[in-house]
Amino acid sequence: MPLLILKIYMQKYSVFNLIKNALKGHKDWEVAWKNPTPKAEYDVIIIGGGGHGLATAYYLAKEHNITNVAIVEKGWIGGGNVGRNTTIVRSNYMHDENGLFSEFGMDLWRNMSQELNFNVMFSPRGIINLAHSDAQMNVFSRRGNSMRLNGIDAVLLSREEVKKFIPMADFSENVRFPIFGGLMQPSAGTARHDGVAWGYARQADSMGVDIIQHCEVTGFDVDNGKIKGIQTSKGNIKAKKIGLCVAGSTNILAEMLNMRLPVETHLLQACVSEPIKPILDHVVTFGAGHFYCSQSDKGEMVMGGDLDGYNSYAQRGNLPTLQHVLTEGIAMLPFLSKLKMLRTWGGIMDMSMDGSPIIDKTHIEGLYLNCGWCYGGFKATPASGWTFAHTIAQDRPHELNAGYSLNRFSTGHLLDEKGLGTKTWIS
Amino acid sequence: MSQNYRLDNNGLINRDKKISFKFNGKNYFGYEGDTLASALIANGIHLVGRSFKYHRPRGFFGAGVDEPYAMVQLIRNNESIPNVRATEQELFEGLEAKSVNCWPNVNFDIGAINNFLNKFFPAGFYYKTFMWPRSFWYKVYEPIIRKTAGFGVVSTNHDQERYEHKYEYCDLLVAGSGPSGLASAYAAAQNGARVILAEDKPRFGGSLLTSEVSIGNQSGQEWVKNIISELKSMPNVTVKNRSQVFGYYDHNMLVMSERISDHLPKTKKYTPKQRLWYIRAKEALISSGSIERPLVFGNNDTPGVMLSSAAKEYLKIYGVLAGKKPLVFTNNDSGYETAIEFKKNGIDPVILDTRKDPSSEIVNEAKSLNIDIKFSYVVVAAKGYKKVKSADIAKISDDKKQLSQIENINCDCICVSGFWTPTIHLASQSGNKTKFNEDIDAFIPGQSKQNETVLGSAKGIFTLEETLKNSFEKGNELSKKITNKENKISLPSVVEKKYTNHDKFWCVPLPEGKNYKRFLDFQNDVAVTDVELALREGYRSIEHVKRYTTLGMATDQGKTSNLNGLQLVSDVENKVVPQVGHTTFRPPYTPVSIGAIVGREIGKHSKPTRKSPMHSWHEKNNAVFVDAGVWLRPRYYKQGNENLFEGSKREAKNVRQNVGVCDVTTLGKIDIKGPDAAELLNRVYTNAWLKLPVGKARYGAMLREDGIVMDDGTTTRISENHYHMTTTTAQAANVLSHLEYYLQLVWPELNVNVVSTTEQWAGAAIAGPKSRDVLQKLFPDLNVSSEGLPFMGYIKGNLFGVNARIYRISFSGELAYEVNVESDNGNFMWEKIMEVGKEFNIQPYGTEALSTLRIEMGHVAGSELDGRTIPYDNSLEGLVSKKKDFIGKRSLNKTAYIAQDRQKVVGVVPLDKKTSIPEGSYLVKDANAKLPNPKLGHVSASCWSVEYDNPFSLAILKDGKNMIGKKLFALSPVKNISIPVEIVSSHYVDPKGERVRS
Amino acid sequence: MLHIKCPHCGLRSQNEFSYGGDATVKRPELNKEVSDQDWDNFVYLRKSPRGKHLELWQHISGCRQWIKVERDTLTHEIFKTLKANEEI
Repeated sequence: MPLLILKIYMQKYSVFNLIKNALKGHKDWEVAWKNPTPKAEYDVIIIGGGGHGLATAYYLAKEHNITNVAIVEKGWIGGGNVGRNTTIVRSNYMHDENGLFSEFGMDLWRNMSQELNFNVMFSPRGIINLAHSDAQMNVFSRRGNSMRLNGIDAVLLSREEVKKFIPMADFSENVRFPIFGGLMQPSAGTARHDGVAWGYARQADSMGVDIIQHCEVTGFDVDNGKIKGIQTSKGNIKAKKIGLCVAGSTNILAEMLNMRLPVETHLLQACVSEPIKPILDHVVTFGAGHFYCSQSDKGEMVMGGDLDGYNSYAQRGNLPTLQHVLTEGIAMLPFLSKLKMLRTWGGIMDMSMDGSPIIDKTHIEGLYLNCGWCYGGFKATPASGWTFAHTIAQDRPHELNAGYSLNRFSTGHLLDEKGLGTKTWIS
Repeated sequence: MSQNYRLDNNGLINRDKKISFKFNGKNYFGYEGDTLASALIANGIHLVGRSFKYHRPRGFFGAGVDEPYAMVQLIRNNESIPNVRATEQELFEGLEAKSVNCWPNVNFDIGAINNFLNKFFPAGFYYKTFMWPRSFWYKVYEPIIRKTAGFGVVSTNHDQERYEHKYEYCDLLVAGSGPSGLASAYAAAQNGARVILAEDKPRFGGSLLTSEVSIGNQSGQEWVKNIISELKSMPNVTVKNRSQVFGYYDHNMLVMSERISDHLPKTKKYTPKQRLWYIRAKEALISSGSIERPLVFGNNDTPGVMLSSAAKEYLKIYGVLAGKKPLVFTNNDSGYETAIEFKKNGIDPVILDTRKDPSSEIVNEAKSLNIDIKFSYVVVAAKGYKKVKSADIAKISDDKKQLSQIENINCDCICVSGFWTPTIHLASQSGNKTKFNEDIDAFIPGQSKQNETVLGSAKGIFTLEETLKNSFEKGNELSKKITNKENKISLPSVVEKKYTNHDKFWCVPLPEGKNYKRFLDFQNDVAVTDVELALREGYRSIEHVKRYTTLGMATDQGKTSNLNGLQLVSDVENKVVPQVGHTTFRPPYTPVSIGAIVGREIGKHSKPTRKSPMHSWHEKNNAVFVDAGVWLRPRYYKQGNENLFEGSKREAKNVRQNVGVCDVTTLGKIDIKGPDAAELLNRVYTNAWLKLPVGKARYGAMLREDGIVMDDGTTTRISENHYHMTTTTAQAANVLSHLEYYLQLVWPELNVNVVSTTEQWAGAAIAGPKSRDVLQKLFPDLNVSSEGLPFMGYIKGNLFGVNARIYRISFSGELAYEVNVESDNGNFMWEKIMEVGKEFNIQPYGTEALSTLRIEMGHVAGSELDGRTIPYDNSLEGLVSKKKDFIGKRSLNKTAYIAQDRQKVVGVVPLDKKTSIPEGSYLVKDANAKLPNPKLGHVSASCWSVEYDNPFSLAILKDGKNMIGKKLFALSPVKNISIPVEIVSSHYVDPKGERVRS
Repeated sequence: MLHIKCPHCGLRSQNEFSYGGDATVKRPELNKEVSDQDWDNFVYLRKSPRGKHLELWQHISGCRQWIKVERDTLTHEIFKTLKANEEI
């Protein structure tokens, strides 16, 4: 190994630099990440240039000093679910494993803009889960109590308190499921999804990680139970360790490895309204169905809900699902009916058989797995990257992701937040 | 006010009907048939709003759905509606509209300071700043950004409008009523096909309304009129205007939104505002036309800069002048049509043509009309802030890189034509892989993916003759396949002007020393420099460019900006456009009302409400209802000023002391018949079922294959091969599907039929020590003694002339019976029970008392069977057969499930015997341990024990079986509660179960 | 909205059906020895290909029959529908 360590100074983003550059016509901004050709060999290859893959590479470099790393991405970085979600960041989980993992992530979120020197617009505006019966209030109490005992902020709101936060919700008489109250995590919120991908990419790149876009993995080299490298559309690349971080395409790569995983691929749609002046200051979820909503900084109402409900790799959905989702939307926030739906999109989800993710080693030496994020991949980006980097670097899971093992399906240590079992398409 | 820009005679508006309206508080008038845009332009109003980011003045750019600028707040029928396009909104009497995104007003907008600072706000500037100090993003910067962003304002009062849905099947859906749409629809209609013809605009005809052509010796407009009236008269044709087909979904499902009342001051009674059509078409004909592309030059967003086709439309349809000193800036022949139209109406235009020496019929016509034409000329920059006052123009070199001396020319509008972009959205949504056509510098549809056929200019065909020929043929061919009839029409003679080639030029270079903003996306303020910056910073994929700059993400979805953006990226990156590729076209083509998407399922109707046959009795007797899934169930029957706690305690106590009756109609009921019915039950339930005698019921639990308890309930053997299964209210539908799954797919050899009878039976549970007395009164002829009807026994009875089924089963732990009658007789049964029970002090009881009774008995229910627990956790291991196999059995030997310290249901009593433990509390050893505080279990259900008059709870506790007698803390931090508790048996009352057998 | 041809009822819209996942999963026979691994595979592993997928649907608002549908998970095109007892 060369003894000379090249310190690369990255151009800093700041208001001063912005002004300085503005006066020069913005001609001096450097590329946020380079466009390298792949080397013959890396210490670690991360497959998948989404949020989790980029974060993993960043933390490999930052926390473990492993910089001879490549990210290979079949399309453009950030083009998967990190760029097609509803931007919600939260840690309001009942199971300890999920709660502690996500809360660790919340700390990373809180410092992310400064750490990455890239404004990811983390906006801790609070998430409110609405409850529509006393029974649901009890379920929420349980979750809130679990959170509090794990050191996560949670507040049980009465109907009147909910009304103070979101007076535009349906508190009228003409309502099928009246609001009884809610559970709030004040520190939860939203972040600018693309910014997260780009921020990690820029820092990872600056520390020497090669971001290789438009490079599709076509096969794996496994020898004697040990990973040796990958075959790609840009040639073969060797690696000592390989991390799979390809939510939505996990099963396709697993098939190349003759692996079958407790993960199914499903389609989740979301949509936004036209932009309007600020009206909703929190993230709100409907309790008598499956609908979530927040207002973006641009003014668009960002809305999502159920899966389309059948296995799908198409990033395109059908209208009845959105109709169903928006029906619940209007039931919660009646004013939505006066807005127009502007844009819709679909993302393909790794739905795991208990609704919780997998971050683990595999039976192939040097091959690591990060998948099964279901609906909750975006908010997990930093914690997933951090723990996956640890798992790869140390060849063992961190205690934070120990619960996300692959063998929990054999041992019965399942993490089923919703209690729905293996019917992944039911939400 | 007078309409200074209205011509005296042109147009299709109804000049006999004046319409008055208000804009920004001032009164104006227009005519019937105007849009808000045409009426405003007629009145000389060109400033309607402010742009998203820089708050630059915004006027009108288009004349329809592609409009990026002219968004207003509309007041209609006492409702304030945000983000209405003035170019689409038809004028109605009393219309009121306001400018948006400006303060204090559109003329003087404080936000416009952004414009003067715009160099500090390039694409993505917010990613680079607003990071210090840390908390300021959320507390300071973001609220400011949010306030300046957004366009209109929405009120929070409930929508008073009505929206409807319609489901339709047809042979051919034709989207767009221009020449290709009309010709194809007409040909198909002649062959007897069921045709739906949809037109987005109020008027049919598309480009034929504004082009100087003739078809079969009629003008374009006349031809449209005749075809439409013939189509309307045909029974197999549905013709819809104001109807936008906005989405092409799977399996040839297209969705259309019909605006029924938006153009009227008020929605008529019993009429919806909008109607959403789900149309399953055998063939979809996409005749959606094309949209003119802008040319890019300095300050090209100044009000008064407008698409040349829009200026022509304002002239020919509305009789309105976009300006009196127009400049037409074009790279193709289309601009000449607009210029000639101006000239014909007495206005002298100047044409700047980027081409050096074009020669065509229409260029010659313009020359012969003595129109001032400057070849190889471009507009360098528009001058004027709130309205175009003049233009800096210059001659451009042949290589289009050098500008000559800048000249200034007076003008009040600049009509731009950068050639045409086919509207390929629907085809692309269908899955059609588009291809780039070099001849027209635009993408056109490729191979059809579903049954879609693209026609006319949507396909890049710009001559009328070819369009008509092709469209008649396609309409005929596709319909013939379906109807097997052919009634071929011959192609009418067509007269149109021949065009020559357009110039591939699209963007004017900056003159030396000038730094004009040259906009690509007008609504989101994305300029050439923004895209260049994005590329410089490495955001090189077109999706990155789009996301980093927000190009094409405004409410017009980039209809006028996307292609120029692609051109720029390909120029900078030295690629050709198809290499860059375009971003994905997704529905909706144009924003669609969320109210219309949802339809009638709003308010109380957002989900169904199910009621038992006894519901009105409950209502009359002061029942307070609770939602149980979609069912409404009495929670308690309020007496006087009782609250829930008092009422349910009284009811539960009365069951323990006397007798109560509870409506259990909502329980799922499944009829199971067939010789193998017992075998099915034996496989589905964890316990043994083969030896259950006729006339006996048994309690059972069923698992999912993963070993988790799915549901519980009793099943009764009615006769040899006939069983009656009950399920919980919540799982009724799932259990039926579950049985059907195994019967049809896994064990088809079993001869069993299952059917839901939930709705067929009304059920009443009569519980309490005096329940036998009540039963005897109900069925005086029956032997209801413990011998005649033992615990878990079943008999039929006659309830005052009504057939009844009587099951001796108990959920409350008391001596109890459940009586079922046909639903129609439910209320009769209930009233009889109340009548004969009076002397025994019978009282109805609701779900809350029911809960209390089952909790203190230690019966598990939904809060324990929560989809995460195995039989052992619920103390149901006695029901798990060791001998036989059943669904989910094999999963029960998992490490976690057989762990020594596995969780188990226990009872919990507060040490002070006073403080109720809230449900959802956690049990811990140390109430003050440092966080995370290890949890031993959680409280699943709580009640006030009426037996012992103190609080009692059930909990699922780790190592539950060894914890009896231990002292722990129940913590509910969200309620600030910490209660010292003792763990006891879950069977708090009558642990031996003597009462049910009494 | 998908258009599914129920082999019993004919072409119907998707909203009459409910989904049932991978149709190739075979439940181990009752009362027969099965290894932990094989059992867990049955409970937790599903085929989830990009492309042709044989899956179950139940015509829940129609004839209530479980049917098999061969569908492309990328394009959503349906190639074939079968009765529960038919093999592809």
